[in-house]
Amino acid sequence: MNVLIVYLLLLKATATSFAGMGSLPQIRQDFVETYHLVSADALSEAVLVGRATPGPMGAYVVAVGYLAIGWPGALAGWLALVTPAFAALPLLITVQRWLHLPRVRAVVDAVVVAGAALLVPAGVGLAADAIRQLLRL
Amino acid sequence: MTAPSSRQLAWIIARDVNRTVGGGMASMELLRRSFEARQWVDASSHALCVAVSRLTPGTNILAYCAAVGWRLRGWRGTLAGLAAASIPGSLIIFVLAATLVRLDGFPIVRLTLSVGMLVAAVLVLSSAWNLFKPYLRSGRWRMVLVISAIAGALYFADWTPVRILFACAITGALLPARVVAAPAVAPTPPRRSADV
Repeated sequence: MNVLIVYLLLLKATATSFAGMGSLPQIRQDFVETYHLVSADALSEAVLVGRATPGPMGAYVVAVGYLAIGWPGALAGWLALVTPAFAALPLLITVQRWLHLPRVRAVVDAVVVAGAALLVPAGVGLAADAIRQLLRL
Repeated sequence: MTAPSSRQLAWIIARDVNRTVGGGMASMELLRRSFEARQWVDASSHALCVAVSRLTPGTNILAYCAAVGWRLRGWRGTLAGLAAASIPGSLIIFVLAATLVRLDGFPIVRLTLSVGMLVAAVLVLSSAWNLFKPYLRSGRWRMVLVISAIAGALYFADWTPVRILFACAITGALLPARVVAAPAVAPTPPRRSADV
């Protein structure tokens, strides 16, 4: 499989998700079910390695790329990981430009507050997972 | 507010992003503490970058680092931030995948991970509080209450986070002016072309 195709497949998954592990369903669809580039077990292993490693959760795509086609795939995975982040720049520039407008500021404030509210169940869920794992040990 | 060099920025991002497990919000909280301690980024700039990162596709922490890097050092800051946030973890993942280590077979790894996740959970909740705090302190508790209630209701209705954020953004735009009165994010002066 061409490294460019692997990059584009991984990019499709990372660019259409809005959280680190949000790309997993698309990757499972493309890499396991459609193109058979990795087995389901190998994908689970890639996710496990990604979760166990400090840093961005979405970096497991590096392992997916590696398990698919070797080190060029790992490189493609890293590129697919960082590429969507550049979309933050036009968004930031646009928001900064119009931030003096009360309605734009209200939208930004609402997104900040909603994002903070969504962190509460995420934090509680993470703590519950950690405590469950500790109890199992 | 002082501007760091790209190297200083990269070092802080590499250090803080690559010492947490369990998601980018814990890393963002560590970065906020480091940035505010050095007076590189204030609370309103942090909040703006968090908002932008939540609306950007892909991994949130990388979008946050790209946005903060852009505000501090333009293109160089963006590239330094992205490289520092993504390369160390990716290299570790590459090595682990290449050696096919069965991490879950080692109890000490599971224990370390669990403790790391617990610490990350505390950081995530602390991050939520630090985002709420400026709005509550400026007396905008009604806006916080309305938006949080909508976000919570949609979360329990199984909406995806992005749809929730967009719904809350629309709500924020439609709220009466008296509810959204005090500015929380100060506008920044336009960047000179030489910086970009």
